[in-house]
Amino acid sequence: MFELDQQIAEQLTQVSLGSSVQVRMSATNSFAVTASTMIPLMQMFEMGGVYISASRGAVEIIQAFESIGVDVSGIQFLDLVSSGVLGGTDVPYSNITFIDSPIMLESILLRTLYTLRTVSSARNFVFLDSVNALAIYNDDRMLAEYLHTFINTFRQREVLSVMLNVPDQTPPLVLANLDTYCTDLIDRGQVVLL
Amino acid sequence: MQPTSVYTRDRCVTGIHGLDEILRGGIPYGSTVLAAGTCGSGKTTLGMEFLVRGALAGEACAHFTATEPSVKLLENIRQYAFFDMNMVDSGLINVFDMDVLYSWLGLEKASFDLDDVHALIKSIVDIVNTIGVTRLVIDSVTTLCYKIKSEQLIRDFLFTLGKKLATLGCTTILISEITSATENAHWSSFGVEEAIADGIIVMGDSERMGHLLRFLQVVKMRGTSHSRAKHAIELTPLGVMLIPMLKWGASADKTSRWGQ
Repeated sequence: MFELDQQIAEQLTQVSLGSSVQVRMSATNSFAVTASTMIPLMQMFEMGGVYISASRGAVEIIQAFESIGVDVSGIQFLDLVSSGVLGGTDVPYSNITFIDSPIMLESILLRTLYTLRTVSSARNFVFLDSVNALAIYNDDRMLAEYLHTFINTFRQREVLSVMLNVPDQTPPLVLANLDTYCTDLIDRGQVVLL
Repeated sequence: MQPTSVYTRDRCVTGIHGLDEILRGGIPYGSTVLAAGTCGSGKTTLGMEFLVRGALAGEACAHFTATEPSVKLLENIRQYAFFDMNMVDSGLINVFDMDVLYSWLGLEKASFDLDDVHALIKSIVDIVNTIGVTRLVIDSVTTLCYKIKSEQLIRDFLFTLGKKLATLGCTTILISEITSATENAHWSSFGVEEAIADGIIVMGDSERMGHLLRFLQVVKMRGTSHSRAKHAIELTPLGVMLIPMLKWGASADKTSRWGQ
């Protein structure tokens, strides 16, 4: 049975709609941390929004949530991965929009803004999964600039931005920018070796 | 001490997401603006949304189409949620086929002389005047000017048309097809449209690692200060959306040179 990390839910009670939250995770706990962040936002705070999937295809993420009994049909997914796979866009879910590539950073932002204009929920979040996945395809300076724009765009619109990140897979310049511009940090990225 | 009053021209608020912000409030009323772009860059959608936003505000609008039949144009534009066919049925948006207009005027010929050009201007101005059009799109001025053989005649045609439409209080977008949107390119096919126009909006594609990213840039707009930065655009069901292009992205991108 899936167990939520309750400390994340407690920490989320401290953030406001205009906040920008960096969620640090490790390569091994990524879904547990993702779910522990997203489920309280949907269920406790009754938020809707957009999930940008750059690390895995949106179908895989939706099915992972379904496997723990969580309905994410009210969330709109922007899938940056599946267009790169032949046949990857033939999916049974209507809440997925595909973007050609993770290098189309401006398109991702524009599509997110468009999607936010179409959702019915009054309070929204934008979930970026993940900064380290975008770093595979994009130049450090461009990604740092993008995140700066991303954070400020949603802060201005009172949309909560949540950026998932595996810090040891993220370039130092990008990481430094996240640390500077995010208002909150949820840190589950520490690997403790006993 | 009283602040110095600053004169600002009345604006035609385009209603297009982000564009009015770039233009610090909209296109100066009565201007003739050249929207020059490569194929697939979103010129027709931009032009049509300009008219739809006007129609939603109760303005009478007209679209002269020379590149595709009006039936095909309307079929293509119906996919956008911002468009409502009732605007055409109720006469708020009037779509004219240039071929039909040529036929009415007896101008079914390969090239136009001075008299033909004047007849064409008169008919367009008459339509604008009769309907009380305040927003006009000609798509495309390039196709239209192919029939006008001399550069001087093209200049006269555009200058006279622009002047008469401005007198009538009509804000006009002339769509121009170009093969390249690089900084050294002409913004028009004949090289004269850009000199006549009050404003120039360039639309094209930037290539980033094999993917094409649409952009829009206002390079000139008389009567208003404006941003001259490149903006990324997306054609969404709700209309054109714009955001500034990433600076580091712009330095790495190549502007596509279709047809060259």
